[in-house]
Amino acid sequence: MNGPKIYLQIGGQNVITQTAVSSFTVMVLLCVAGYFLGRNLKKRPGRMQVLTEKGVAMLYNLVEDTMGKHNSYWTPYIGALFLSSLGGSLIGMTGILRSTTSDISTTLTWALMTSFLVWGCTIKNSGLKTFLKGYINPMNIISDIAQPVSMAFRHFGNIMGGGVLMSLLYQALAAGSALVLDLIRSNGLSVIVAVAVLGVIVFLSGLKKNKLLLKIIGIALFVLAAAAALEYFGAFKEIPILEVGLPGVLSLYFDVFSGGVQALVFSLLTMVYVGMACPPKEEKQK
Amino acid sequence: MTGFEQIIGINPWTALFTFCNMIITFLLLKKFLFKPVKKMIDARQKEIDDMYAQAESSKAEAAKLQADYEEHLSSARAERDEILADAVSRAQKREAEIIAEAKSDAAAIRVKAEADIAQEKKRALNEVKNEISSISISIAQEVVEREITAADHERLVSEFIGRLGEDYD
Repeated sequence: MNGPKIYLQIGGQNVITQTAVSSFTVMVLLCVAGYFLGRNLKKRPGRMQVLTEKGVAMLYNLVEDTMGKHNSYWTPYIGALFLSSLGGSLIGMTGILRSTTSDISTTLTWALMTSFLVWGCTIKNSGLKTFLKGYINPMNIISDIAQPVSMAFRHFGNIMGGGVLMSLLYQALAAGSALVLDLIRSNGLSVIVAVAVLGVIVFLSGLKKNKLLLKIIGIALFVLAAAAALEYFGAFKEIPILEVGLPGVLSLYFDVFSGGVQALVFSLLTMVYVGMACPPKEEKQK
Repeated sequence: MTGFEQIIGINPWTALFTFCNMIITFLLLKKFLFKPVKKMIDARQKEIDDMYAQAESSKAEAAKLQADYEEHLSSARAERDEILADAVSRAQKREAEIIAEAKSDAAAIRVKAEADIAQEKKRALNEVKNEISSISISIAQEVVEREITAADHERLVSEFIGRLGEDYD
């Protein structure tokens, strides 16, 4: 898997990369969606408004549960972070754009924003003196550096790792399908027909016994035979037939699930860190 | 396109764009999504709370009114009983008074009637006496006018007595 594509280079610097474009697209999509969802709100909501309100209320509840009621005003930032992260991970599934979160520049920026928010809140709530006093113990400097780095690499690594695994899987399946099709094709037309017939028989028996697995195997065998026939007659070359199906299931885990979990983890960590820096008013006075 | 970046590499321009995009996303979502939706949710929540509070207060008010009415009703009933009892006692008193008055009137009338009767009787007796005396005088005149025999005497006396009886009947 390659890094982000470079679209524009000025003076030897990679100014506009694929990540920047994806990030911009995600921003535009989120803002447009947000604008249309937050428009025409009524006391008696329609379907869309109910969903929107449910989502917003869930975010508010999450923030209030994690950071406390007094930190409820952080919800828009946490929500924007969560949605940007989720959208940035999911936009890689379009195939045209690259996941923004599989670029360490993005996740590190977000992690540093969190760190600066934490530092800012600490100074604002307990004063510069207390903030600087914390660094009498030099271990705190290390922890303050480690915190954004670990956050950034956790998110980046998960999405990037998922992408790498998916691309490896695609390569492996392409190689595998070439191997299988070669095997069928090189033995002549009779083998192709035999595989096709076998596929039909398996499918029909699956239909009779009402077994989903047999049906799928039957269809797969028939499609294999069809692909082999297409290659045999020279209509196409190197059809990556095995790439159908299996990657979709795995992508559900590596892209959708992993993207969602990482977005949640990143927002939760931000909430926890910022929440610790913004204690409730009573505790501050002690 | 002029190639690919390294897989793990920090591009300050990408970082800058990401930062700006994040801030813009945050501000726009806050303005267009989070604030209006939260406001709407809160407004609805407030309306519901208000409605419940209003219903609660109306209920309390109704209960108070009912208690008031019941109190009024019972007091009115008591008042009515009192008025009735008062009226009955007054009527009874009046009745007794009237009866007593009638009795005393009757007694007075009777006393007067008796007095009248006594007086009348007295008057009648006086009249009788006068008559008797006048008769006696006339008899005496008659006696004086003629010779009275013993038989005459006797006859005269019995006549007188007989007349007396007649007069007295």
